Amino acid sequence: MSEAVLNVEDLALSYPGGVQALRGVSLQVRPGEVLGIAGESGCGKSTLASAMISLLSSGAEITGGAVYLRGENLMALSERDRRRLRGREIAMVFQDPLTAFNPVLRIGEQLVDFQVNAEGSSREKRRRAAAMLSKVGLEPDLALSRFPHELSGGMRQRAAIAAALLMRPAVLIADEPTTALDVTMEAQIIHLLRELQAEVGCAIVIVTHHLGVIAELCDRVAVMYAGEVVEVAPVDDLYHDPLHPYTRALLSCDPSALVEHTGHLPTIGGRLPDLADPPPGCAFAPRCPLASESCATPPPRVRPAPAREVLCHKVAP
Amino acid sequence: MTPLLHLQDLSVDLPLGGLFSRGKALNILAGITLDLPRGQTLGLVGESGSGKTTLARAILGLQPSSGTMLFDGKPLASRSDYRAIRRRSALMFQDAAASLSPRMNVEQAITEPFTIHREPMGRRRDRAAELLAEVGLPAAFAARFPHELSGGQARRVGVARALALKPELVIADEPTAGLDVSVQADILNLMADLKERHGLSYLVITHNLALIRHVADRIAVLYLGRLVETGPTAEIFAVPAHPYTQSLIAAEPKPDPRKRRADLAIQGEIPGVLRRPRACEFHTRCPLAQEICRQDEPVLRTIAPGRQARCHLIEEKTLNRETTDELDHQSPQLS
Amino acid sequence: MPSDAEIAPAEPARQGRERRAAGRVLHRSSLRVLLRDPMGALGLILVVTFVGMAVFAPWLAPYDPLKLDVMNKFQPPSWAHPAGTDQLGRDLLSRIIYGARTALSIALTSVGLAGIGGLILGMIAGYGPRWLDGILVLIFDSVSSLPMIMLALAVITIIGPGTDTLILVVVTVSIPAYARLIRAQTLGMAQSDFIVAERAMGASGARILIRHLLPNVVGPLVILLSMDVPIVIMLEAGLSYLNLGVRPPTPSWGNILYDGYTSLRSAPHMVLIAGLPLVLSTLGFTFLGEGLRDALDPKLVKGGA
Repeated sequence: MSEAVLNVEDLALSYPGGVQALRGVSLQVRPGEVLGIAGESGCGKSTLASAMISLLSSGAEITGGAVYLRGENLMALSERDRRRLRGREIAMVFQDPLTAFNPVLRIGEQLVDFQVNAEGSSREKRRRAAAMLSKVGLEPDLALSRFPHELSGGMRQRAAIAAALLMRPAVLIADEPTTALDVTMEAQIIHLLRELQAEVGCAIVIVTHHLGVIAELCDRVAVMYAGEVVEVAPVDDLYHDPLHPYTRALLSCDPSALVEHTGHLPTIGGRLPDLADPPPGCAFAPRCPLASESCATPPPRVRPAPAREVLCHKVAP
Repeated sequence: MTPLLHLQDLSVDLPLGGLFSRGKALNILAGITLDLPRGQTLGLVGESGSGKTTLARAILGLQPSSGTMLFDGKPLASRSDYRAIRRRSALMFQDAAASLSPRMNVEQAITEPFTIHREPMGRRRDRAAELLAEVGLPAAFAARFPHELSGGQARRVGVARALALKPELVIADEPTAGLDVSVQADILNLMADLKERHGLSYLVITHNLALIRHVADRIAVLYLGRLVETGPTAEIFAVPAHPYTQSLIAAEPKPDPRKRRADLAIQGEIPGVLRRPRACEFHTRCPLAQEICRQDEPVLRTIAPGRQARCHLIEEKTLNRETTDELDHQSPQLS
Repeated sequence: MPSDAEIAPAEPARQGRERRAAGRVLHRSSLRVLLRDPMGALGLILVVTFVGMAVFAPWLAPYDPLKLDVMNKFQPPSWAHPAGTDQLGRDLLSRIIYGARTALSIALTSVGLAGIGGLILGMIAGYGPRWLDGILVLIFDSVSSLPMIMLALAVITIIGPGTDTLILVVVTVSIPAYARLIRAQTLGMAQSDFIVAERAMGASGARILIRHLLPNVVGPLVILLSMDVPIVIMLEAGLSYLNLGVRPPTPSWGNILYDGYTSLRSAPHMVLIAGLPLVLSTLGFTFLGEGLRDALDPKLVKGGA
């Protein structure tokens, strides 16, 4: 197993009001892999994504742990040093690509600006931008001279991916990159990310609530619940042999997983725990069909197979 | 039995205002012919920009249209006809929270239909509690304001308001967009329960095929304002006839890594209504497009009992053969 | 079965209390937000003070503002006359207090009338038929292309100076500005989902206008009105200073300022004392307007508090 390019170690993070959005998250991103982070709203997956690139919303406070990018602790660096790493070593794509661009500048100017730390003349940079645009499937001459609002949603997401990959970062973090798109465009973006990953060779972290996207794209999956990573597994194992009861429940709710027509879909009863005052034991226990008395104590991190981790009392090591 | 809703050759044109383009109009929908039988769910499927939402609004008279619409066998034409259909139907919005008046609390919002149509409701508070109970919310929610609701809660309040006057038709525009899978399942189950309990008919508008597969009895596929395929849900999913339907179904990501697709089913995106392609609208993206598709406009025709498609390339025989092949496959003793 | 996740009470403490408040523009919780903001609170205090001065002028003023006492003219502030006296020996404090009555009655009447007119016309333009909108916008544009001061001078020349003239001018000139704001708000809101939802439920146009659009568009108008009150106070003072507004001897801050200016050398305190209420009332209404901006936002009022 190769050295992780991005290493999240026991990260804990709180928002104002004492909401513990991340509670001891450990996760490794290996060079060149596609890692999916799955979970429902409020599970902390987007917070984790922004912590990975150390772009936290104001008020968020790291209460423990660290994030290492190629061995450097992002949390210990100055904002200036972090800026140096962003773009070059790590980049991000958002759900709404419109927010990634300045509305009053042409795409071309912005793609040149993004290379501010790079070597080369502005002509060289423009050439590089054009090359990257054609790699994401846009007509470079056309796209360079357009304003962001003149592109459709799908084209903007392609341009945003081009912008993120310009500096050939080692890690690309994509937060719900296809959620705002139609199915046909979603399929195209998935296809594009897969191609680019093979070509650029960067590691990709996809954060999404859409289990289909993860199945299509990822090598490994981390499932989050209530601020914790409850299961990590290779993608095939996760979908065909899910071990954590929450993973199982989540997979069974997805209507696209059911081939037969059913009038009633399975659901997960109960509700998320209050993250301002999380329970001492397993956070999923109140909703878990397997829960017993032992679940009132913190669950162990079980490793049933070399590449698998489950945070559960009920899984035999 | 007469269908609850019957549309015949419905079209919507947006007048282009402006000094020099007076009299010109932008065609949004044309030739929409659909039936919604009582007690059934019709799914309206297509990408954004296909005209799904416009169709829903045209049915309620919120969008001027031409063609024939019959609600419960009676034509919709005058203002009072539309007032009647609005009394007997309900619209659920994609953004449920935004469809609630921001300065009204839940109690006022869900009892408003009674006020509007001057229907007796008894004590407002009791009626609100009753409606909230019906959608699985505690009565205490009556005092909340829209911005104090989560996505799923707002959705439930939207359902409660839709149910207030015991409608016959519920038009749901992307009823679960933006919800987590488990909450989505909750809302769909709630809608299914209510349909059974109150004998509702649904028109569900969505681009989510996985969802429509489980809720709709029949589906109608729209592309750029034209109906391209209609038929029973199970049959269309088993053997999609129109190339667009085929690519939509193929584009849906499957939650199974063993079924990864090697290549793309469909390229590009839906062209805007301002740049409507000639002849068959889909020819610019169709993997099978031929000369005839660029020359002649196809018509919606029956391709099998209960199924229609709008494509030059489907021959009745082909489809029949495929269906028979399927049958043969399932029951070898026949062959 | 519904999952409890969806029905968790988020803010149990707040339930019930605000039930009656919805639909009204200003209610108790808005006031709370306003008072929490120091600027808004200061604005409110100043405005309440001036309104109090205007309403209770006969009880608050130590002297008759018109009573001459030529023996004691140009007195500096003293125990007997806290703000001194003017060139005719009239008590300045009493004149300032009565001046508040003049200033506020003119400003609030004209701004209020203009606000109501603008609200009605703006909502008609924004939600009514397109041809009517076209005509109204043309009228708004024509009227607002007239410069206020020129119009004021023209009207004064024709019908003579006085309080009514002033109000007429302010109302005429302000209506288009308010109507345009309301029209833009109405147009934007008419497309929003909740208005479409009302139409889909079969609500009548009048109900949508009054029950749904009105409470949502009136907030920004109230803010603008509050910010405009000092402009009218200044206009009244300015015109009175030019002897084109309120006729002497009626006490008006503008008249006092004029008197003070003519006797600047003999009694410099007069200008300062007449200027102070102008400055304070301007600040008061402006701060109040700023504070209302937050206080009238329904999301800030009941949600994130």
